[in-house]
Amino acid sequence: MKKIGKYFAVLLTLGLLLAACSGGGQEAAPAQQENQEQSAETTAGPSELIVGAEQEPVGFDPHKVPAASSVRIYALVYDSLTKLDENLNVVPGLASEWSFSDDGKTITFKLRKGVTFHNGREMTAEDVKYSFERILNPDTGSIAKSYFSSIETIETPDPYTVVFKLKYPDSAFIANSSSAYASIVAKEVGDLNKEAVGTGPFMLDTVESGQYVLLKKNPNYFIEGQPGVDAIKFQIMKDEAERLAALRAGRIDIAQVSADFAKVLKDAPGITVKSYQSMEYSYLGINVKQQPFDDPRVRQAISYAVDRSAIVEVVWKGEASLTGPIAPAQTAWALDTSRYPSYQTNVEKAKELLKEAGYPNGFETVLETASTYPDMVETAQVLQQQLQQIGIKTTINQLEWGNYIERWKSKEMSLLVGRNTSGIDPDRSMRFFFHTEGSANVWNYSNPQYDQLVQKALEATDPAERKSLYEEAQILLVEDAPNLFLASPKNFYAVSEKVVGFEPSAAGEVYALVKTAKKN
Amino acid sequence: MARYVCKRLISLIPIIFGITLLVFTILHLVPGDPASIMLGTNATPEAIQALRESMGLDKPLITQYLDWLGGLFVGDFGQSVHTGEPILPEILQRFTVTLQLSLFAALVGWAIAIPVGILSAVRVHSPFDAIVRMVAMLGISVPNFAIGSLLLLILSLYFGWFPPIDVVDFWEDPAEAVKVFILPAVTMGIVLAAGIMRMTRSAFLETLDKDFIRTARAKGNNQWSVVIGHALRNSAIPILTLAGMQMGYLLGGSVIVEQLFSIPGLGQYILDGIYQRDYPVVQGGVLFIALLFVLVNLLVDILYTWIDPRIKY
Repeated sequence: MKKIGKYFAVLLTLGLLLAACSGGGQEAAPAQQENQEQSAETTAGPSELIVGAEQEPVGFDPHKVPAASSVRIYALVYDSLTKLDENLNVVPGLASEWSFSDDGKTITFKLRKGVTFHNGREMTAEDVKYSFERILNPDTGSIAKSYFSSIETIETPDPYTVVFKLKYPDSAFIANSSSAYASIVAKEVGDLNKEAVGTGPFMLDTVESGQYVLLKKNPNYFIEGQPGVDAIKFQIMKDEAERLAALRAGRIDIAQVSADFAKVLKDAPGITVKSYQSMEYSYLGINVKQQPFDDPRVRQAISYAVDRSAIVEVVWKGEASLTGPIAPAQTAWALDTSRYPSYQTNVEKAKELLKEAGYPNGFETVLETASTYPDMVETAQVLQQQLQQIGIKTTINQLEWGNYIERWKSKEMSLLVGRNTSGIDPDRSMRFFFHTEGSANVWNYSNPQYDQLVQKALEATDPAERKSLYEEAQILLVEDAPNLFLASPKNFYAVSEKVVGFEPSAAGEVYALVKTAKKN
Repeated sequence: MARYVCKRLISLIPIIFGITLLVFTILHLVPGDPASIMLGTNATPEAIQALRESMGLDKPLITQYLDWLGGLFVGDFGQSVHTGEPILPEILQRFTVTLQLSLFAALVGWAIAIPVGILSAVRVHSPFDAIVRMVAMLGISVPNFAIGSLLLLILSLYFGWFPPIDVVDFWEDPAEAVKVFILPAVTMGIVLAAGIMRMTRSAFLETLDKDFIRTARAKGNNQWSVVIGHALRNSAIPILTLAGMQMGYLLGGSVIVEQLFSIPGLGQYILDGIYQRDYPVVQGGVLFIALLFVLVNLLVDILYTWIDPRIKY
């Protein structure tokens, strides 16, 4: 009896110990919630918006750091000369108006008066000149330099006027000037990674490495009534499941989620899912210099063999649109894909084309993609199956992101699955990626007729003429098929019911965030 | 003893040198450089070249290595090529977080494993023992990210609970720190516990079979004074060895758990460094962990002599 009593005591102790360890989380629950509510009421919490960020920013110099995790933050701290509205129209930013000379080679921007930097000094034409010269300086290594290669000189006749003299007419200039990469910075600040002084709706307050970035409202922001919240906190949460759990528990207010998680959250109480057509598109890149892809018939055959709608269904669960060289979100420029004959899947025709090109039994090749992005891998797998139907046997080679970029740059790949972002202006989607001299033309594609079209379109000052030139170029490009343009996915945001007025669009997160408010 | 410690510390020098060489070589052999990863498929070749130059990546490899090594001698781990910030303060800051998490996890693991392991050995072949062995097997085979995700999802879904997102140091606000670390610590602790439990069980089984235990029993000691008073210390060596190694791994940063619970620890710092080919960050971080690992093992070796006076160096 005594012995049993002892065992019992030991077991009881152990049981308690185990309970204390494993039950800790649950027991803490009510206290935790209370604590959270309290802090929400007592601090400035009600108007602090917490955004779940999937990556940590890697610096805040708008001219140097192109990482999306950084852009989403510095785009709230700085303004550019122009900006986009939700329909992707270019509207005044720091410049209230602008005009072109008759030959299209001079652009004059009139700046708003009384706009101040976060340090209190008024923003003037000198700052604009300084910012653009910094972008153009090769030592800066700015990604926006190629956007503004048309600039010859910058003049500042008075503190509120900036005149850009161009080497050639550049219709993309105004749209490009809305990019966050073209932010206007204060000329007295030396190291923009250490000090962020902009004119934007928010001021950089705290950067806690690996944890969060806190932005405080700029009380002197030049747009009346903006921003809608006192602070925005970008909480770094890399794991999507964690962001989802935090959203459900009311710990964060907004998070970008994948199509899969958007489905999971559809019926979650207190959370709405918002989506918009992104400016991204997926593609199959083809090295046109390499055999057998140097034969346009082979590329055409691949285009006819691929069923793009299957990719939309399988990879994007139906939450994507078919796309041409310009993503469909660019409604003003993108062509309806029904105008491309090779978008009609036709296996027989594909086989015929292959036969004509001298490959009646198909061939073997390698299809490369980045393992970092599940959608790219899935796209490659669907393509692998579809190409098999016409005898093209592919081996999929999944590369880590760094290797992938290296491979992309090498110009030596055979087939490559990837994703591009259509620029704000069609010049980027067309010239940057496919002009013979285009910086991102890694496909060795060269067609003098195409080059001429996109160059003419860039220099055209009449919008109607520009549009028709780009139409012609898009049709030509799809026919030549150095890339197969596949699908343009939707982007999803999960938003807490406490958030008011957050309407994400292709114009960008920043545009939506400045208009967002929060309920108590 | 002091001589032994000195000898061990001196033997660290070639080890560290080897590690620096290895890390540097491997890292620079991997394709992809920080500039092109930063700029992605949006960059012009000139932009990448300009960025490479501003990062100092255009210098010959040997110069880069010697620069780094030279810096190490004066305690300078270099600067991140991405943020331009010095690395050592960042490593130390991240390390304090990882240290707290590791200690917490170890505490959870040991508190479960040692008593259960002992009991399982004492009641060998009982149903309790069978269950323990089964659970331990499960603990070893289920990956910790699965346990962590499950804990997070269940707690947030059914109890509306979510651990605080911002990490607080234990010495600043112990109660809040416990809330921050409890879930990741339990997640890591479960995996630790499984290993220690098995080790404790087998070590005790072996000890309990020894002659001195029989003698102790013959002298009329009851079961628990035999187990705690005689067997515990004599079974401690293998348990301690395993615990020491586990601690080394924990301090190295349990990357996945840190990622899952957004704990800004050392593991996450190095992982980000790898993705971005931030050479100085990875080099510095790996070197720091290697040092820790060696030091923890040294500490374990010293503890041996305390536990078992028969061991002499």
